[in-house]
Amino acid sequence: MPQGNEITMNKTMTVDVLSSIKGAKPSETINKLFEVIKNSDLSTTGSSGNNNQNAVPIEQLREDMVVQASDLEKQLIVENFPQEKNGYLVVAKVIEA
Amino acid sequence: MQSQIKHIHQQLISKQISCVDLVQQRLDLLKQNSHGSVNALLDANALKQAQAVDTKIANGENIGLLEGIPFGVKDVFMLQGTFTTASSDFLKQYKSAYTASAIQKLIDAGAIPIVKENCDSFGHGSSNENSIFGPVNNAKDSALVAGGSSGGSAVNVAKDYTVFSIGGDTGGSVRQPAGYNGVYGLKPTYGRISRYGLMAYASSTDCVGPLAKSVEDIRIVLNTISGKDVKDQTTYESAPINEAGLADTGSVKTVGYFKNLLENDAMDASIKADFMATLEKLKAKGIEVKPLDFIDAEALISTYYILAMAETASNLSRLDGTNYGNRIEAENLIESYAVTRSENFSEESKRRIVGGNQVLSQGFSDAIYLKSLAVRDKLSADFEGFFNDVDIVLSPVTPGLPPKVGDGLKDPMAMYLSDAFTVGFSLGQLPTLTVPHGTATGIQITAAKTDDERVLQFAHLLEETL
Repeated sequence: MPQGNEITMNKTMTVDVLSSIKGAKPSETINKLFEVIKNSDLSTTGSSGNNNQNAVPIEQLREDMVVQASDLEKQLIVENFPQEKNGYLVVAKVIEA
Repeated sequence: MQSQIKHIHQQLISKQISCVDLVQQRLDLLKQNSHGSVNALLDANALKQAQAVDTKIANGENIGLLEGIPFGVKDVFMLQGTFTTASSDFLKQYKSAYTASAIQKLIDAGAIPIVKENCDSFGHGSSNENSIFGPVNNAKDSALVAGGSSGGSAVNVAKDYTVFSIGGDTGGSVRQPAGYNGVYGLKPTYGRISRYGLMAYASSTDCVGPLAKSVEDIRIVLNTISGKDVKDQTTYESAPINEAGLADTGSVKTVGYFKNLLENDAMDASIKADFMATLEKLKAKGIEVKPLDFIDAEALISTYYILAMAETASNLSRLDGTNYGNRIEAENLIESYAVTRSENFSEESKRRIVGGNQVLSQGFSDAIYLKSLAVRDKLSADFEGFFNDVDIVLSPVTPGLPPKVGDGLKDPMAMYLSDAFTVGFSLGQLPTLTVPHGTATGIQITAAKTDDERVLQFAHLLEETL
């Protein structure tokens, strides 16, 4: 018998939930684009299947180091807070009572 | 046309004009906002920088070629301390905390940013009507759209409000408005210019691109902003393109074109006829012209939009009003996310986000998303094959003429189909330049990956031929 969380995971998520957009519905125009690809008999033979053409080799990865932001950058980040209290970002409660 | 940058540079060093007067003149023109191309003027800082250039000249110091040259910035680039809105309600009060690498390189070279330019919201559009600042009107005919998404940038260059502008091109957003407004617009090879500080639309095709009135100005700006950047790991090191090298037009012996795309029903007859006449002129110069078999327009458009939507859905998922942006409070966190996103994204952006989440979801991804990725791989392989046979691929920029303002948003499918000639080169990550000659909306010149120099060389040849 499935556990509760498995049932939740298997639920079909609607596009409004997936997109966090209230009342969102699939678009007829976009669905037409999907149909073109679904129904097309596009020969992809010879396709490399290599979707990592922009992957960076390990030896070229940049150093994993912390770079301090300037004071001006920090100030601008705070200015962009939607809600601020004593220099801290105010967010909604993550865990509801 | 001659280089505007070099002409103005001469005027500055010979003291025919002061930099303050130059910048003030351009700001005065932009302030009228006659074509809706302006989101914000950067007047205070611009005039301060101009004064510093004048002081250097007065002191007898040398100035660099770009020093004191006023330019425009599409409103999707970070420029520290300025509003960077992406023409959206979501970010209408957002201030850049840092500066994009490409813009910083121009500032370091002494160029002066004077305006944040109108564009389609988050780059989502091909007409520049999808903007909270209203539509941008075409530079040649105000009743028509400017094209998009870098419409404000193209119009500002065309009207001489800026000497050059920096746009962003994901599926044609520099090249198409350049064609509609009669200026040059380059989408360089993917990775040649750092994307750091450019708001992400579809990361695998996003490119920074200059718009200007001459090939020479495109070359000067491209050289300044190219190069490897540790902040964008897809960038690569590239050698500067020399002016003298561009005169060597003899390296192009063979040109290809996509015959099947020209035979599409949506193709405007005059653009097709003018394009074919251009090919005939090239033949008369001894250049071999070869038709190439390409994927059909509908499949091409579908492949591009499916991948672009998937990437934009992912990139824009960070916009939830928590850390920045126009948060709308609701009864709990989840509701706050949903209301904030529903109220702040435009209809076109929502359409693309929803479409992107659909294709990435279970049941869709294999049949649509992964198939589109495979088509893209095939396309890249095809391009490699083409460039074994031809030196350059030529194509129109658009299948049709610019629509009237108000018509663009009525039919999203028509808008998507208008990108038929631009999106393929984006998927291939190839260097492509719009030149404002040959057809009413220009011609695109494309070369093999990293061969941006050959594109500019051929632009010279084409100018001599037409």
